[in-house]
Amino acid sequence: MLWYKAWRESQGTFLLSAAAISLLCLAFAMLRQEASGGISDEPLPYAVYIWKIVYGGYLREVFVILVLLLGMGGLMRERDNGTAGFTVTLPVSRARLVLVRAATGLLEVLGLALLPAALIPGLSALTGESYSYAQAWQFALLWGAGGTFIFMIGFLSSCIFAGPYTPPVAGFLALMVYSVLSDLPIMERYSLDVHDLMSGSGMPWLDLNTARLIGPVSWTPAAVFFLIALALVVPACSITRRQDF
Amino acid sequence: MSRAFAIETHGLTKEFGKFAAVQSLDLRVAANRTTGFLGRNGSGKSTTIKMLLGMTHPTGGSATVLGRTVTDEQANRETRRNIAYVGEDKQLYRYMTVEHLIRFTKSFYSDWEPDVHERLLKRFQLPLDRKVKALSKGMRTKLALLLALSRRPELLILDEPGEGLDPVAVEDLLQDLVSAGANGITVFFSSHQITEVERIADQVCILDRGKLVADLSLEDMRKDYRRITLGFSNEPQPAKFRLPGVRNIQTSGRQITLIASGNADAIVEIARDMGPVSVDVAPIGLREVFLDTVKTGVA
Repeated sequence: MLWYKAWRESQGTFLLSAAAISLLCLAFAMLRQEASGGISDEPLPYAVYIWKIVYGGYLREVFVILVLLLGMGGLMRERDNGTAGFTVTLPVSRARLVLVRAATGLLEVLGLALLPAALIPGLSALTGESYSYAQAWQFALLWGAGGTFIFMIGFLSSCIFAGPYTPPVAGFLALMVYSVLSDLPIMERYSLDVHDLMSGSGMPWLDLNTARLIGPVSWTPAAVFFLIALALVVPACSITRRQDF
Repeated sequence: MSRAFAIETHGLTKEFGKFAAVQSLDLRVAANRTTGFLGRNGSGKSTTIKMLLGMTHPTGGSATVLGRTVTDEQANRETRRNIAYVGEDKQLYRYMTVEHLIRFTKSFYSDWEPDVHERLLKRFQLPLDRKVKALSKGMRTKLALLLALSRRPELLILDEPGEGLDPVAVEDLLQDLVSAGANGITVFFSSHQITEVERIADQVCILDRGKLVADLSLEDMRKDYRRITLGFSNEPQPAKFRLPGVRNIQTSGRQITLIASGNADAIVEIARDMGPVSVDVAPIGLREVFLDTVKTGVA
């Protein structure tokens, strides 16, 4: 039943996020003429347009914001709402409460990451264009890995801070600081920028001219981000165990 | 397992920065009895209850509930299986319906009693399909009580259970608590309603400024506590009345009122030797004891 609780608490954000991503995919596929004017003066090949507006551009930025918000909630929010007393006196450990919520959120992030892959190729075909499912699924996996990492930043922030505004603001700040630091010239060789991982930019397996993933994608960076995301559950549990409700 | 005390604390302390919400609390709540926990707002009652349930971590001292240490996470989790708790604010998951919340709660406890649940559901007239957010405060309180009372725990802890209930529901609640006590469940509840505490409690613990200032059996209180009012022809000297058993002395002109926690007959005897023109001895209620205790800070 804890899974049911975790789902009910996050379903609003998840369904709204899914609706927003779906609508944007639909709009970007259907309104190519109007949308491409905003990203380039030159006519762009379809794959480049999709990469610039979906995988490397606006939709990825929207995805980042949505998964960060999906990490909000949890016991600190419950403390504000007055239900934490009921939850923490259930005969379950706080670690289990945290793990179930994190696992639910991670599954939701993966669901959101898969949405463009499920929609873009089909919508492209409807408009007489073509976009490869293979390309879309590979980007979905990169989004999934990066998305879980970003989700966990928001999740950790919501485990530390109380109130409706502090956790998202702190999460955004943490992500910004991380992005700036990972972009420093000294750090560039380590490929630590999660945004680059998700878009493929700067990665040897993305051809920027055609905006296609070429050659074998190295999944090691994606796996590393995913594992770091999983590891962030440990401090989340530890912080929650020490808190007063 | 039979044990003398369901709750025992030794020097239990909770400090928030420099503020001590609970200070060196030595509390013992007898098993299979109903104990009322009284205190003014901010006296530390809720903080104490939260520490007992593992919601808040003590900054000092120790406590055991049903024989298990509250600071041992695993032990405390096991203890919570045998405790039913109704919190102060009675906030429940707003997004669930009454039915979903009952099903959710039931899934965590093996001591759920379906017949009691059905009876309470009928009595409280809770609409199963209504979301918690659409319930009034009184209905929410009834739902919180249903979730706690539909089980057969060893220990029932309630923080201001009657708050938000109408008089009929309060009456029903008191009956439920009496019947829980009669069925061998240890009941520990905090309340501001002294008359309610006096009606159902066997024992009363009074907390003031984070300290236990009284721990008395209501039976002993009824038997031993007396208000002795003496009238004199001249203004009396209060110092002469500082006798064993006298816990408070108040003078008003030529009249002196003593609150005695025992030894009343001997006090009256001594007072008679001082030549009073009138002597009146009356039993006192919990309200008077409570007010006197929190004013003087002594039991």
